[in-house]
Amino acid sequence: MNEKLREHIDMLFEEAPLTRKTVEIKEEILQNLIEKYEDLLAQGKTPEAAYNIAAASVGDISELVDELKRSGAHDGYSESLYQKRQHTSLLRSIAVAMYICCIVPTIVFDGRLGAALMFIMIAAATGLMIYSRQNGSGGKRADTGVMVDDFKQWRSQNNDRMQLLKSIKTAVWTLTVVLYIMISFWTSAWGITWVIFLIAVAATNIIEAVFDYKKEEGQ
Amino acid sequence: MSITADLIRGHTETIILAQLLEQDSYGYKINKAIQAKTDHKYELKEATLYTAFKRLEESGCISSYWGDENSGARRRYYAITPHGRREYLIRSEEWNTAKVLIDRLITDGGSQI
Repeated sequence: MNEKLREHIDMLFEEAPLTRKTVEIKEEILQNLIEKYEDLLAQGKTPEAAYNIAAASVGDISELVDELKRSGAHDGYSESLYQKRQHTSLLRSIAVAMYICCIVPTIVFDGRLGAALMFIMIAAATGLMIYSRQNGSGGKRADTGVMVDDFKQWRSQNNDRMQLLKSIKTAVWTLTVVLYIMISFWTSAWGITWVIFLIAVAATNIIEAVFDYKKEEGQ
Repeated sequence: MSITADLIRGHTETIILAQLLEQDSYGYKINKAIQAKTDHKYELKEATLYTAFKRLEESGCISSYWGDENSGARRRYYAITPHGRREYLIRSEEWNTAKVLIDRLITDGGSQI
């Protein structure tokens, strides 16, 4: 029956922003209802009657929800979201630095060791990129619940940006293929020129990171 | 009952402050005390209670802390602050004035019937 009361509270607070304050008030009210429910049972009420009385004692929460919406913007929860975003930015910066530095081992070490180290660095950087992106998107999802209107505006801007990003990527890849063929024929160093493709992967990732960063700044 | 509730609603915050003067308390316990004092004729809705808590806390009349419960869930307790005590005195003074005036304006009219 406690679950049923919890569902009832969840339903009532559906429109409230997902902030720490909301979670705490819901929990407090739920605790009160559970205690009331148990008291009613002890007084000899049937479970159904006790549930109905407890559920009805919540009253009209629209004013409370409005206040939660009002104070939702500057709340500890949003702060933790902000911290999470900073954390994501840090991860991306590290990944970008690794992409840029991945060429260093091939300069320092000869032969296979250099190449192996470069691959490991690229793999680690790509892993970091993917991890930070998933982390970041989780944060954004929670955010859109708070500011639906902002989100709509942001989405239309975002579409333009995505188009631009797409065309830049296409240009980079075309350029890469052209450069690869030209440099390869020119130097005849087919054994090493394929590295251009790895550099292109790094470059597109850096461009995406810059775009994501700009997007977050825009918000 | 609903008309009485409307009359009392404007004094929810003062009523909560009065309960907290006696001892620190949490939502349901305050409501139980109110029910006991009114012979179960009046009780606050949870929504009313927490809207009032929120306002009182924002204006610095009460503070809250997590109590250590021996059994079951942890509860948030509310305590009255010195500012809350002053606020209570002002409001109860206002109520006493209003009570006398309303008595004169409404009840005394009954003697004419």
